[in-house]
Amino acid sequence: MTAPDHVSPTEVVRRLTMDPGPWLSCDDCFRLVDRYVEVVLAAARPGEELAAMPAHLSGCSACAEEAATLLLLAAADAGIDPAPALERLVRG
Amino acid sequence: MTEVSSDRSAPTSAGSAAAADDDWVAQLTTPGPARDDALRRLHALLLRGARFQVSRMSALRAAVGAAQVEDVVNLAADEAMIAVLGKLATFEGRSRFTTWAYKFAVLQAAVELRRQAWSHREVPLDAAPQLVEPRPSPDEYAEGSELAAAVRVAIDTVLTPHQRRIALALLVEEVPIDVLAERLGTNRNALYKTLHDARGRLRSHLAAQGYPTASTSSGREAR
Repeated sequence: MTAPDHVSPTEVVRRLTMDPGPWLSCDDCFRLVDRYVEVVLAAARPGEELAAMPAHLSGCSACAEEAATLLLLAAADAGIDPAPALERLVRG
Repeated sequence: MTEVSSDRSAPTSAGSAAAADDDWVAQLTTPGPARDDALRRLHALLLRGARFQVSRMSALRAAVGAAQVEDVVNLAADEAMIAVLGKLATFEGRSRFTTWAYKFAVLQAAVELRRQAWSHREVPLDAAPQLVEPRPSPDEYAEGSELAAAVRVAIDTVLTPHQRRIALALLVEEVPIDVLAERLGTNRNALYKTLHDARGRLRSHLAAQGYPTASTSSGREAR
Protein backbone atom coordinates (compact mmCIF):
# COMPACT_ATOMS: atom_id res chain seq x y z
CA MET A 1 0.00 0.00 0.00
CA THR A 2 1.42 3.41 -0.92
CA ALA A 3 0.40 6.95 -0.14
CA PRO A 4 -2.22 8.69 -2.31
CA ASP A 5 -0.63 10.21 -5.40
CA HIS A 6 -1.24 13.79 -4.27
CA VAL A 7 0.79 13.33 -1.08
CA SER A 8 4.46 13.75 -1.92
CA PRO A 9 7.14 11.96 0.07
CA THR A 10 8.42 15.33 1.24
CA GLU A 11 4.96 16.20 2.51
CA VAL A 12 4.70 12.86 4.31
CA VAL A 13 7.98 13.56 6.11
CA ARG A 14 6.75 17.04 7.06
CA ARG A 15 3.47 15.69 8.41
CA LEU A 16 5.19 13.01 10.46
CA THR A 17 7.83 15.25 11.98
CA MET A 18 5.94 18.49 12.60
CA ASP A 19 6.01 20.03 16.06
CA PRO A 20 2.93 18.69 17.88
CA GLY A 21 3.00 21.58 20.36
CA PRO A 22 1.37 21.47 23.77
CA TRP A 23 -1.28 18.79 24.26
CA LEU A 24 -4.89 19.78 23.63
CA SER A 25 -7.61 17.21 23.02
CA CYS A 26 -10.10 17.46 20.19
CA ASP A 27 -12.88 17.78 22.80
CA ASP A 28 -11.16 20.76 24.40
CA CYS A 29 -10.56 22.25 20.96
CA PHE A 30 -14.30 21.99 20.30
CA ARG A 31 -15.08 23.57 23.69
CA LEU A 32 -12.83 26.55 22.93
CA VAL A 33 -13.17 26.97 19.18
CA ASP A 34 -16.01 29.52 19.16
CA ARG A 35 -14.06 31.84 21.44
CA TYR A 36 -10.82 31.27 19.55
CA VAL A 37 -12.44 32.05 16.19
CA GLU A 38 -13.82 35.33 17.51
CA VAL A 39 -10.45 36.28 19.02
CA VAL A 40 -8.75 35.57 15.69
CA LEU A 41 -11.40 37.55 13.80
CA ALA A 42 -10.86 40.49 16.15
CA ALA A 43 -7.07 40.21 15.61
CA ALA A 44 -6.75 40.05 19.40
CA ARG A 45 -4.10 38.12 21.30
CA PRO A 46 -5.32 34.69 22.46
CA GLY A 47 -5.24 34.35 26.23
CA GLU A 48 -3.53 31.53 28.08
CA GLU A 49 -6.56 29.24 27.84
CA LEU A 50 -6.46 29.49 24.03
CA ALA A 51 -2.69 29.24 23.71
CA ALA A 52 -2.65 25.61 22.53
CA MET A 53 -5.25 26.17 19.80
CA PRO A 54 -2.90 27.08 16.92
CA ALA A 55 -0.74 23.98 17.40
CA HIS A 56 -3.78 21.74 17.68
CA LEU A 57 -5.28 23.18 14.50
CA SER A 58 -1.93 22.73 12.74
CA GLY A 59 -1.80 19.09 13.73
CA CYS A 60 -5.45 18.05 13.41
CA SER A 61 -6.90 18.80 10.01
CA ALA A 62 -10.42 17.71 10.98
CA CYS A 63 -10.55 20.31 13.75
CA ALA A 64 -8.89 22.85 11.45
CA GLU A 65 -11.43 22.26 8.70
CA GLU A 66 -14.30 22.79 11.12
CA ALA A 67 -12.69 25.84 12.74
CA ALA A 68 -12.21 27.47 9.34
CA THR A 69 -15.89 26.96 8.51
CA LEU A 70 -16.89 28.45 11.85
CA LEU A 71 -14.65 31.44 11.22
CA LEU A 72 -16.22 32.04 7.81
CA LEU A 73 -19.73 31.84 9.26
CA ALA A 74 -18.90 34.19 12.13
CA ALA A 75 -17.15 36.61 9.79
CA ALA A 76 -20.16 36.71 7.46
CA ASP A 77 -22.51 37.39 10.37
CA ALA A 78 -20.28 40.19 11.64
CA GLY A 79 -19.61 41.64 8.18
CA ILE A 80 -15.85 41.08 8.50
CA ASP A 81 -13.44 40.10 5.72
CA PRO A 82 -12.34 36.60 6.77
CA ALA A 83 -9.17 36.38 4.68
CA PRO A 84 -6.64 37.81 7.17
CA ALA A 85 -8.17 35.87 10.04
CA LEU A 86 -8.05 32.61 8.10
CA GLU A 87 -4.30 33.03 7.77
CA ARG A 88 -3.99 33.61 11.52
CA LEU A 89 -6.23 30.68 12.47
CA VAL A 90 -3.54 28.00 12.37
CA ARG A 91 -0.50 30.23 12.77
CA GLY A 92 -1.97 31.86 15.90
CA MET B 1 -14.43 28.18 -1.71
CA THR B 2 -18.17 28.49 -1.41
CA GLU B 3 -19.28 31.89 -0.26
CA VAL B 4 -21.34 32.03 2.90
CA SER B 5 -24.36 34.31 2.89
CA SER B 6 -24.35 37.01 5.52
CA ASP B 7 -26.87 37.10 8.37
CA ARG B 8 -28.02 40.69 7.94
CA SER B 9 -29.84 40.72 11.26
CA ALA B 10 -26.59 40.08 13.14
CA PRO B 11 -25.57 42.78 15.60
CA THR B 12 -22.27 44.50 15.05
CA SER B 13 -21.44 46.12 18.41
CA ALA B 14 -20.40 44.25 21.55
CA GLY B 15 -23.33 45.65 23.52
CA SER B 16 -25.97 44.74 21.00
CA ALA B 17 -24.34 41.33 20.49
CA ALA B 18 -24.60 40.62 24.22
CA ALA B 19 -28.21 41.72 24.23
CA ALA B 20 -28.97 39.52 21.26
CA ASP B 21 -27.33 36.58 23.03
CA ASP B 22 -29.47 37.23 26.11
CA ASP B 23 -32.50 37.36 23.84
CA TRP B 24 -31.66 33.98 22.31
CA VAL B 25 -31.27 32.30 25.68
CA ALA B 26 -34.35 33.95 27.18
CA GLN B 27 -36.52 33.13 24.20
CA LEU B 28 -35.32 29.54 23.99
CA THR B 29 -36.02 28.93 27.68
CA THR B 30 -39.38 30.70 28.10
CA PRO B 31 -42.43 28.74 26.90
CA GLY B 32 -44.68 30.58 24.48
CA PRO B 33 -44.88 31.86 20.93
CA ALA B 34 -41.51 33.62 21.23
CA ARG B 35 -39.87 30.26 22.02
CA ASP B 36 -41.49 28.62 19.03
CA ASP B 37 -40.18 31.41 16.83
CA ALA B 38 -36.71 31.19 18.39
CA LEU B 39 -36.65 27.42 17.80
CA ARG B 40 -37.48 27.97 14.13
CA ARG B 41 -34.76 30.60 13.78
CA LEU B 42 -32.25 28.38 15.59
CA HIS B 43 -32.99 25.46 13.30
CA ALA B 44 -32.59 27.68 10.25
CA LEU B 45 -29.26 28.91 11.60
CA LEU B 46 -28.07 25.34 12.20
CA LEU B 47 -29.18 24.29 8.72
CA ARG B 48 -27.15 27.15 7.30
CA GLY B 49 -24.08 26.11 9.29
CA ALA B 50 -24.40 22.46 8.30
CA ARG B 51 -24.98 23.27 4.65
CA PHE B 52 -21.98 25.59 4.54
CA GLN B 53 -19.70 22.97 6.12
CA VAL B 54 -20.80 20.37 3.59
CA SER B 55 -20.36 22.83 0.73
CA ARG B 56 -16.68 23.15 1.65
CA MET B 57 -16.02 19.39 1.50
CA SER B 58 -16.24 19.02 -2.26
CA ALA B 59 -14.36 15.73 -2.67
CA LEU B 60 -16.38 13.92 -0.02
CA ARG B 61 -19.61 15.52 -1.25
CA ALA B 62 -18.99 14.15 -4.74
CA ALA B 63 -18.40 10.68 -3.29
CA VAL B 64 -21.71 10.72 -1.47
CA GLY B 65 -24.14 12.14 -4.05
CA ALA B 66 -26.59 15.03 -3.97
CA ALA B 67 -29.58 13.33 -2.35
CA GLN B 68 -27.52 11.86 0.44
CA VAL B 69 -25.77 15.19 0.98
CA GLU B 70 -29.12 16.83 1.66
CA ASP B 71 -29.88 14.08 4.17
CA VAL B 72 -26.54 14.75 5.85
CA VAL B 73 -27.35 18.47 6.13
CA ASN B 74 -30.79 17.89 7.62
CA LEU B 75 -29.59 15.18 9.98
CA ALA B 76 -26.71 17.37 11.15
CA ALA B 77 -29.02 20.32 11.81
CA ASP B 78 -31.43 18.13 13.77
CA GLU B 79 -28.65 16.58 15.84
CA ALA B 80 -27.12 19.99 16.44
CA MET B 81 -30.50 21.35 17.57
CA ILE B 82 -30.68 18.64 20.22
CA ALA B 83 -27.11 19.35 21.30
CA VAL B 84 -27.59 23.12 21.50
CA LEU B 85 -30.81 22.88 23.51
CA GLY B 86 -29.27 20.25 25.78
CA LYS B 87 -26.23 22.40 26.47
CA LEU B 88 -27.98 25.77 26.60
CA ALA B 89 -27.31 26.09 30.34
CA THR B 90 -23.58 25.83 29.66
CA PHE B 91 -23.52 28.82 27.28
CA GLU B 92 -21.42 31.38 29.13
CA GLY B 93 -21.66 34.26 26.68
CA ARG B 94 -17.90 34.19 26.06
CA SER B 95 -18.61 34.14 22.33
CA ARG B 96 -21.66 35.20 20.39
CA PHE B 97 -24.56 32.81 20.73
CA THR B 98 -24.69 32.28 16.99
CA THR B 99 -20.99 31.35 16.80
CA TRP B 100 -21.43 28.97 19.74
CA ALA B 101 -24.48 27.36 18.13
CA TYR B 102 -22.92 27.09 14.67
CA LYS B 103 -20.08 24.92 15.95
CA PHE B 104 -22.47 22.08 16.80
CA ALA B 105 -23.90 22.07 13.28
CA VAL B 106 -20.47 22.31 11.68
CA LEU B 107 -19.15 19.37 13.72
CA GLN B 108 -22.19 17.18 13.07
CA ALA B 109 -22.15 17.89 9.34
CA ALA B 110 -18.43 17.28 8.92
CA VAL B 111 -18.42 14.05 10.92
CA GLU B 112 -21.50 12.68 9.17
CA LEU B 113 -20.27 13.49 5.66
CA ARG B 114 -16.86 11.92 6.36
CA ARG B 115 -18.60 8.84 7.75
CA GLN B 116 -20.93 8.47 4.77
CA ALA B 117 -18.21 9.10 2.20
CA TRP B 118 -16.07 6.34 3.71
CA SER B 119 -18.91 3.94 4.49
CA HIS B 120 -18.02 1.59 1.62
CA ARG B 121 -14.28 2.17 1.60
CA GLU B 122 -11.66 -0.02 3.16
CA VAL B 123 -9.57 1.69 5.82
CA PRO B 124 -5.91 0.90 5.09
CA LEU B 125 -3.93 0.16 8.23
CA ASP B 126 -0.67 -1.13 6.84
CA ALA B 127 0.68 1.79 4.84
CA ALA B 128 4.35 1.71 3.89
CA PRO B 129 5.10 5.26 2.78
CA GLN B 130 7.56 6.05 0.05
CA LEU B 131 9.63 8.79 1.65
CA VAL B 132 12.00 9.67 -1.19
CA GLU B 133 10.89 11.88 -4.06
CA PRO B 134 10.70 9.86 -7.34
CA ARG B 135 12.66 12.49 -9.27
CA PRO B 136 14.45 14.72 -6.77
CA SER B 137 16.66 17.60 -7.78
CA PRO B 138 20.31 17.27 -6.68
CA ASP B 139 19.66 19.62 -3.74
CA GLU B 140 16.46 17.84 -2.74
CA TYR B 141 18.26 14.56 -2.95
CA ALA B 142 21.18 15.71 -0.83
CA GLU B 143 19.03 17.36 1.84
CA GLY B 144 15.96 15.20 1.78
CA SER B 145 17.02 11.66 1.18
CA GLU B 146 19.07 11.39 4.33
CA LEU B 147 16.26 12.79 6.48
CA ALA B 148 13.70 10.61 4.72
CA ALA B 149 15.80 7.54 5.36
CA ALA B 150 16.14 8.51 9.02
CA VAL B 151 12.38 9.00 9.29
CA ARG B 152 11.77 5.65 7.63
CA VAL B 153 14.02 3.94 10.15
CA ALA B 154 12.48 5.89 13.04
CA ILE B 155 8.96 4.86 12.05
CA ASP B 156 9.97 1.21 12.31
CA THR B 157 12.16 1.43 15.38
CA VAL B 158 10.88 4.27 17.57
CA LEU B 159 7.12 4.06 17.21
CA THR B 160 5.00 1.38 18.82
CA PRO B 161 3.02 -0.76 16.35
CA HIS B 162 -0.14 1.12 17.39
CA GLN B 163 1.47 4.56 16.91
CA ARG B 164 2.84 3.50 13.53
CA ARG B 165 -0.53 2.20 12.35
CA ILE B 166 -2.44 5.30 13.47
CA ALA B 167 0.11 7.85 12.22
CA LEU B 168 0.36 6.27 8.78
CA ALA B 169 -3.39 5.81 8.37
CA LEU B 170 -4.05 9.45 9.28
CA LEU B 171 -1.09 11.16 7.62
CA VAL B 172 -0.22 8.96 4.66
CA GLU B 173 -3.52 7.33 3.71
CA GLU B 174 -5.51 10.39 4.84
CA VAL B 175 -8.22 8.38 6.55
CA PRO B 176 -10.48 10.91 8.33
CA ILE B 177 -9.87 10.77 12.07
CA ASP B 178 -13.58 10.25 12.85
CA VAL B 179 -13.75 7.36 10.39
CA LEU B 180 -10.64 5.72 11.78
CA ALA B 181 -11.95 6.13 15.32
CA GLU B 182 -15.25 4.50 14.41
CA ARG B 183 -13.58 1.55 12.66
CA LEU B 184 -11.23 0.95 15.57
CA GLY B 185 -13.90 1.41 18.25
CA THR B 186 -12.18 4.40 19.79
CA ASN B 187 -12.60 8.17 19.64
CA ARG B 188 -11.05 11.24 18.06
CA ASN B 189 -9.29 12.30 21.29
CA ALA B 190 -7.54 8.96 21.71
CA LEU B 191 -6.33 8.87 18.10
CA TYR B 192 -5.07 12.44 18.18
CA LYS B 193 -3.20 11.67 21.43
CA THR B 194 -1.55 8.70 19.73
CA LEU B 195 -0.54 10.90 16.79
CA HIS B 196 0.68 13.66 19.11
CA ASP B 197 2.88 11.22 21.01
CA ALA B 198 4.15 9.60 17.80
CA ARG B 199 5.27 12.95 16.43
CA GLY B 200 6.99 13.73 19.69
CA ARG B 201 8.87 10.42 19.62
CA LEU B 202 9.94 10.86 16.00
CA ARG B 203 11.15 14.40 16.64
CA SER B 204 13.09 13.44 19.77
CA HIS B 205 14.77 10.60 17.94
CA LEU B 206 15.65 12.75 14.93
CA ALA B 207 16.96 15.55 17.15
CA ALA B 208 19.15 13.04 18.98
CA GLN B 209 20.50 11.93 15.60
CA GLY B 210 21.41 15.53 14.80
CA TYR B 211 18.61 16.35 12.37
CA PRO B 212 17.09 19.84 12.70
CA THR B 213 13.46 19.79 13.86
CA ALA B 214 11.59 23.04 13.35
CA SER B 215 9.59 24.18 16.38
CA THR B 216 6.92 25.95 14.38
CA SER B 217 4.51 24.25 12.06
CA SER B 218 1.75 24.99 9.63
CA GLY B 219 -0.59 23.02 7.44
CA ARG B 220 -3.25 20.52 8.32
CA GLU B 221 -2.68 16.97 9.20
CA ALA B 222 -4.91 14.41 10.85
CA ARG B 223 -7.95 14.31 8.65
